[in-house]
Amino acid sequence: MSRNLKSFVLADSKKCIGCRVCEVACAVAHLDTEIKTVGNMNFSLNPRLYLVKTPEITMPVQCRHCEDAPCLKSCPVSAIKEQSNRIVIDEAGCIGCKSCIMACPFGAIELIVSRQERIGDEEDCLRDEPEVVASKCDLCGGAPACVKACPREALQYVDMVKERTQRRIEAANKMSGFHNEFMVREG
Amino acid sequence: MVAKKIQENIKIDAELCTGCGRCSEVCPVDAIEGEEGKPQSVNVAKCVMCGQCVQICSAYDSPFEQYATSRSQRLKERNMPVVKEPLFAAYYHGDFFKVKKRLADKKQFSMVQCAPAVRVSLAEEFGMPLGSLVPGKMVAALKRLGFTRVYDTNFAADLTIMEEGSELVKRITEGGSLPMFTSCCPAWVKFVENEYPELIDHLSSCKSPQQMAGSMFKTYGASVDGVDAREVYSVAIMPCTCKKFEASRPEMKSSGYQDVDAVLTTRELAYLIKEAAIDFNALPEESFDKPLGMYSGAGTIFGVTGGVMEAAIRTAYELITKEPIENVNVTSVRGEQGVRKVTLDTGTLKLKTVVVSGLKNVIPILEDIQRGKADFHFMEVMTCPAGCISGGGQPKMLLPVDGRIAYVNRKFSTYQHDEEQRYRKSHENPEIQDIYKKFLGEPLGHTSHKLLHTHYKPSR
Repeated sequence: MSRNLKSFVLADSKKCIGCRVCEVACAVAHLDTEIKTVGNMNFSLNPRLYLVKTPEITMPVQCRHCEDAPCLKSCPVSAIKEQSNRIVIDEAGCIGCKSCIMACPFGAIELIVSRQERIGDEEDCLRDEPEVVASKCDLCGGAPACVKACPREALQYVDMVKERTQRRIEAANKMSGFHNEFMVREG
Repeated sequence: MVAKKIQENIKIDAELCTGCGRCSEVCPVDAIEGEEGKPQSVNVAKCVMCGQCVQICSAYDSPFEQYATSRSQRLKERNMPVVKEPLFAAYYHGDFFKVKKRLADKKQFSMVQCAPAVRVSLAEEFGMPLGSLVPGKMVAALKRLGFTRVYDTNFAADLTIMEEGSELVKRITEGGSLPMFTSCCPAWVKFVENEYPELIDHLSSCKSPQQMAGSMFKTYGASVDGVDAREVYSVAIMPCTCKKFEASRPEMKSSGYQDVDAVLTTRELAYLIKEAAIDFNALPEESFDKPLGMYSGAGTIFGVTGGVMEAAIRTAYELITKEPIENVNVTSVRGEQGVRKVTLDTGTLKLKTVVVSGLKNVIPILEDIQRGKADFHFMEVMTCPAGCISGGGQPKMLLPVDGRIAYVNRKFSTYQHDEEQRYRKSHENPEIQDIYKKFLGEPLGHTSHKLLHTHYKPSR
C-alpha cells in the first residue's frame, strides 16, 4: 500500500549558528494577531522549535511528525490528532498532563500559556494560575516560517516524496557509472 | 566620568548571547569580540555606539530556558520599565526613569526635541503600519506627557544647513580643510576621533542638530519664555543610541549648562507613552511650538541617507549662484548604495559631493584623502545603513524581513513629509530667518560660533 509520509523540518548543525531567528519567526508565525515590533509584544515569545546548544552541537530541534506518533498515542484525552498529514495538538482539548512531553523522544513538545490566556479571556480572569497547554510544531500549514527566516539556510522542509525521488535519482546516476565501469566489462 | 561611563552604553548580555556572530557582521568598527559560539563582548575603545548590534540581535530570553538572572534583574540592568516584551542579548542602557521622574514634577519647565526619523517610526510601536508618518500625534503625545514646549530637531537641522552650507562655501572660497565632512552623526564623529584623528580638521565645526537645538533651547528658547536657562530641562527623542553619548560630551555646554539633559530613543518614548496610558492611535494631530519647532522639508530629510547633502545643496546652490535651484528634489544623492558621488554644476564651480552610508564604506575614501587623492569638496557620512531611520534606537523588528520593509517605508514617509512642507529649503524657513535677525546675527558669526560650533579631539 502506498503511503504519503509526513513532512517535517530538519536542521543542519553544520550551517546553524544558533542565532534563534527560527525561534522568533516561529513564535511570530503563531501569534493570534500580527505583531511586527518587539515593543508591541506583551508576552514572551513561544516558539515551537528549540535551539539546542552544547559544546558539541548547535541546532534547533522540532517535531518529526512521526508516522507512529508516540505523543498521539500517549494523550489520554485524544487532544493530539493526525490532520492533513500532520500531527497536531488541539489546544482546547489539552489538559496539560505532560504525557506527550514524556512520550516524545525528541523533546519537541513544550507547555505554553494557552491562547485564551494570552488574549485575556474575561470569564477566566479570576483564576490564579495561567492555563497551560501542550505546544509543538504544526508545520505552519506547509510553509514553515522557521525555514524561510533562517539567515543561513540551515533549515530544510523535508518532503518525503521529493526526498526519496531525489535520492533514488542520485543513486541511479551513481550506479549507472558503476555498471558501465565494472559490470559491462565482465559481460 | 559621565562621558566615560556612557561610552559603555552598548552591552551584550553574556547569559543570553549564543555567539552566533550576526552582530559582529553588522558592526561597522569590528568592536564585537569573542569566540564563535561563545558569548560576545563589546570593545568599548572601538565601539561607536551605533546600536546596529541591538537591532540585529535575535538571541532572546526563551521561556523554556532557565537563567541565573531574573527578568526583573535584567530589566533593572538595562534601565527599562516593567515591560513584558522579550529581551535580547544586545542592548543599551536607557534613560526612561530619569526623564519620567523629572516629568512627574509639574513645576518643571521642560523643552523637548524630536529627530526627523522619530516621526516616521514611533507609530510602529503602537501597531500602526511600518513607516507611518505621525508628527502630529507625536506632538500630542509629548504634550500629554507634560513637556512644556514641544520643539523640533528639524528646526535645528535647518539651522545646521545655514551654518554648514556657509562653512562649506567659506572653506572653498577662502581656504580651509577640504573635503569637508558632515558632523551630524555622532557615531561617525566618534569614528573619526578614534580611528582617523589626523582627519579631524575635515569635520565641519558645526554641532549636530541635536546639540544646536539644545544650546538654542537654553539661550534663545529660555529668553522667549522668560525663564532662566538653569530651570530648563532639555530632552531629545532620538532614533539613535549614540546621541546619548553625544549629549553627555563635556564640551556640549555652550549655554552654560548641559545643553541636552537627557536623550530617549524612539523605543523609550513609546514606553513613556504606554506607561502614561495614552491611547496613541486616538490622539489628535497637534502642532510643534514656535519658534523652535518650525521646519522646512530640508530639515526633515536629515533622517535619511543623502538627506543632509540634499538639504545642503538646496541652500548652497543659492549661496553660490544667488539663483534658486531648478529642481528642489535632488534625487541623484538619494538611495542606499554605500557610496554615491554626485557633481553639482553651479556655473562657476562644479561642486563635487560624496554620500556614504555605512561606516565600513567610508574607509577607502578616508585612505584616499590621506594619500592626497581626494577629488571632491563635501562628504556626508551616516553610520547606519539607511541613515537615522535605521538607527539603533528605532523600533526593533521581530523579523529581519520586516526591518527591510520598515526602512523602505520610513524613507518613503520622510520624502513625503518633505514634499508636504510649505518651505522646502532651510534658508526659507521664516523662523530661521527670524532667529538670525533677532539673536544669532550672521551664519558663522560670533554668537553662532559660540553656540552652534564645536571642536573635536583625538580619542587616543
